[in-house]
Amino acid sequence: MYKIILSFRYLFRKRISYLAFLAVALCVFIVVVVMTVMTGLVTDFKRKNRNFVGDCVVGTESLVGFAYYGDFVEILEQADFIEGVSPVIKSYALISPVGTERSIGVEIMGIKPVEHNMATGFSGTLYHRKGDVSKAFEPAYDPNLTGCVVGIDLWLVRDAKGRYSYEASPAETALAVSCFPLTAKGALAKAGVGMINTKTFYYSDNSQSGLARVDSSLIYLPFEQAQLLCGMAGPVKRANAIHIKFKPNVKVEDGCEKVTLLWQGFAEEKSGEKSAHLLEKVTVQSWKDYRRAFIAAMEKEQTMMTVMFALVGITTVFIVFVVFYMIISHKSKDIGILKSIGVSNANIIKLFFGFAFLVGLLGSGVGLFAGWLFLLRMNRLENWLFEHFKFQLWDRTIYAIGDIPNQMDFRVLAVIVLSAIVACLAGAFLPSRRAASLKPVETLQVSQL
Amino acid sequence: MLKLFLWLRYLRKKKIVFLSIAAVALSVALLIVVASLFNSFINAFEQSAVETMGDIVLAPPIKFAKYRLLIERLEQTVAVETATATLSTPSLLHLGKGNVRAVLIWGIEPGPREKVTGFKRFLCKQKSSSRQPSFEIPGFPEKLGGFVGVGVVAEPDEKTDEYDFDAIEKIIGQQVVLTTGAASRAQEHRGTRTQVKRRALKFTIADIFFTGSYYVDKTFIYLPIEELQKALYPNEAEPIADQIQIKLEADAQADVAMAQIRGIWRWFAAEQLGWDLYLIKQTTVTTAKQMQSQYVAELRKQMGVLLVIFGIVSFSAVLLIFCIFYMIVITRQRDIAIIKSCGTTSIAVALVFVGFGACVGIIGSGIGAILGYVVTKNINTIEEWIRIVFGLKLWKSSVYMFSRIPNEVDWASALPIILSVVIAAAVGALIPAVIAAGTRPVNVLRYE
Repeated sequence: MYKIILSFRYLFRKRISYLAFLAVALCVFIVVVVMTVMTGLVTDFKRKNRNFVGDCVVGTESLVGFAYYGDFVEILEQADFIEGVSPVIKSYALISPVGTERSIGVEIMGIKPVEHNMATGFSGTLYHRKGDVSKAFEPAYDPNLTGCVVGIDLWLVRDAKGRYSYEASPAETALAVSCFPLTAKGALAKAGVGMINTKTFYYSDNSQSGLARVDSSLIYLPFEQAQLLCGMAGPVKRANAIHIKFKPNVKVEDGCEKVTLLWQGFAEEKSGEKSAHLLEKVTVQSWKDYRRAFIAAMEKEQTMMTVMFALVGITTVFIVFVVFYMIISHKSKDIGILKSIGVSNANIIKLFFGFAFLVGLLGSGVGLFAGWLFLLRMNRLENWLFEHFKFQLWDRTIYAIGDIPNQMDFRVLAVIVLSAIVACLAGAFLPSRRAASLKPVETLQVSQL
Repeated sequence: MLKLFLWLRYLRKKKIVFLSIAAVALSVALLIVVASLFNSFINAFEQSAVETMGDIVLAPPIKFAKYRLLIERLEQTVAVETATATLSTPSLLHLGKGNVRAVLIWGIEPGPREKVTGFKRFLCKQKSSSRQPSFEIPGFPEKLGGFVGVGVVAEPDEKTDEYDFDAIEKIIGQQVVLTTGAASRAQEHRGTRTQVKRRALKFTIADIFFTGSYYVDKTFIYLPIEELQKALYPNEAEPIADQIQIKLEADAQADVAMAQIRGIWRWFAAEQLGWDLYLIKQTTVTTAKQMQSQYVAELRKQMGVLLVIFGIVSFSAVLLIFCIFYMIVITRQRDIAIIKSCGTTSIAVALVFVGFGACVGIIGSGIGAILGYVVTKNINTIEEWIRIVFGLKLWKSSVYMFSRIPNEVDWASALPIILSVVIAAAVGALIPAVIAAGTRPVNVLRYE
């Protein structure tokens, strides 16, 4: 009991303890705000990537693609752990709006919209055909034309608040899409006759995945048309990837493992076929591995920020150390009295550790509360700053970010609070040991009183 | 003298003061490293634009003829050292089996371009040659040669982020195919309309360039401007270009030079090309650095936000100095009382502690500046060691544009940081100094 009483007494009576408390609160406040925003950005980025990719991808990086994808799609569709399967064509193309001199190099993705929506969050990225994904490639102005869905940043401009000026209905625009058709060996399929395939598509919708690179460089085409353009619609049809979504109760790792087994069996079964060599470079990857190059960069930035805060947080440990050192120097008489009535060294250490715990807990509590209040008002504050001073944390015309993420992640908060308490305990460690080693006979002698 | 004596004594006797020095040093080092890395990244980014496009870029809305006359006129001005023309078009490149990628073709004149941007030093094969860079394929003068960015033909190693140049040099001499589009007017029943005709073009890789800027290395292909024109616009009789890139004299002022260039352009477009005022006004004359200004402004803002965040956290160092000085004042009250009883004024006593605080700030900042300098200068080695020890590749050119972390120490940012920290340290010592000044010898030195 005396430990609790003395801990509270030191905390409230010794004004110098307020400093330790203030330092902890300040650090926790900053770390909570920065880490919440960073974690929010990373989580949001991952969610968008998963939405774009699905749970798992069976595919090859080569633009030649792989054969017999249809047979494997059938196998996957029969599996009880799979919800959706979508074969996809991927390549590069040049697009030119008909009637202009402009040409843009883009990535193309040939999809079957309904199937692709079963495997990914495709329909959620559309604007005009959000509710009816089956008509994604049917331009509203003439459903008989072959449509294409264009990445939103290729089509519309973001304003200063990150909003697009959507049109009421898609404008009638023809896009000439050209690409190299490739043979199963990777050579140019039309080497003797102009080498290029060109077809005109009509703008039917735009797609906003929220991923800057995707939205600024990708157009979706109907699967069969893309297959023809890329030279993959020969006697042995080819595709570049199969996107898969697992049933809700299936873990991604487990699902990928099962798909890998299925693929291995399938590849073995097809090993005698003519185009079996194309199956050798096919891999099965989870969505995270498939988009690793993009996700890893953000995760690393988060790690670097954490390391930098840990470095700066060392100062807090120093402050706690100094404050405790001072309190112990001043309270040597209390310690002498406590020890003279039989309190053990361990209990003296416990007393100061309890005090340190209290400083850490209350300091981080206040920092947390202040951080929560700040995060709650952060977007309003940014809007106000933008309206009055044209200041934005991120220029929305450059970055594909909507509101600044301000949802607190309780796991992150727990780690921050725990780190603050550990920092306080670390800072209090040496002074507590010194307090425990004080001898009553020295601290209570007349010359010291 | 007394102050110096006391400062040295407190430094020697009160080891805890070193904690405040360490905290100050840590904060200063961190702030200097952050400011330097951001600023050197921004400088590298701007420099990369200059190395790709020269000092000033003249870009009309449509392509134009007679560019040699324009260049001649530009080179006659005092401000312009030299200029070169480019003709650009997006394209698809077929590199080999199953290997297709989107690229940007620039038709260039290698000699003049070397004078404007000094791009020869980026060429793997020709950089050591004393001759001007050339598209010629040795032994095959009839073949069309081109320079290809290293990122177009190869990917950097996943772990080290470095290119295998031995393997890459073997690609030189290979023939590749690209397709691109050229606009032409087509007759229709309702009149004429513009349509893009696809052209396929075979060329041999004459050399590979490595600028260290990921976007340039990954995207660009250089071809002879005349050959590109022949392929894209076979019916054009005169040489055409869509951009003029200009190098200024070393002592030229960019604003003055741009005004002169605009004047020459207005004359050229009106008199030689017969363009109307609308087209002339649509032409942009801007510095390569200004072209990056929106992104640079964003980077500077992020640096500012990061410095504010770390500045607030570094405020803990001020609290630490306050704590330590408060402790010194409380435990050294007898010293203070004796000094005061010898006739030292309260202000002089306060100044001892404020000065000592400033000293802590100066020493801490000095150590922090050295630490910041060492870390910044060796950031690439540190990053490499982190990769070797933890297997974590922090810097990738595909993410952060450059192959190496730009690592120039920005003293212009470091000096205000150091000054602020010294002042902050003195402020941290202010309240303890006031307490010390308020010490009454009669109370402290009493026998009881």
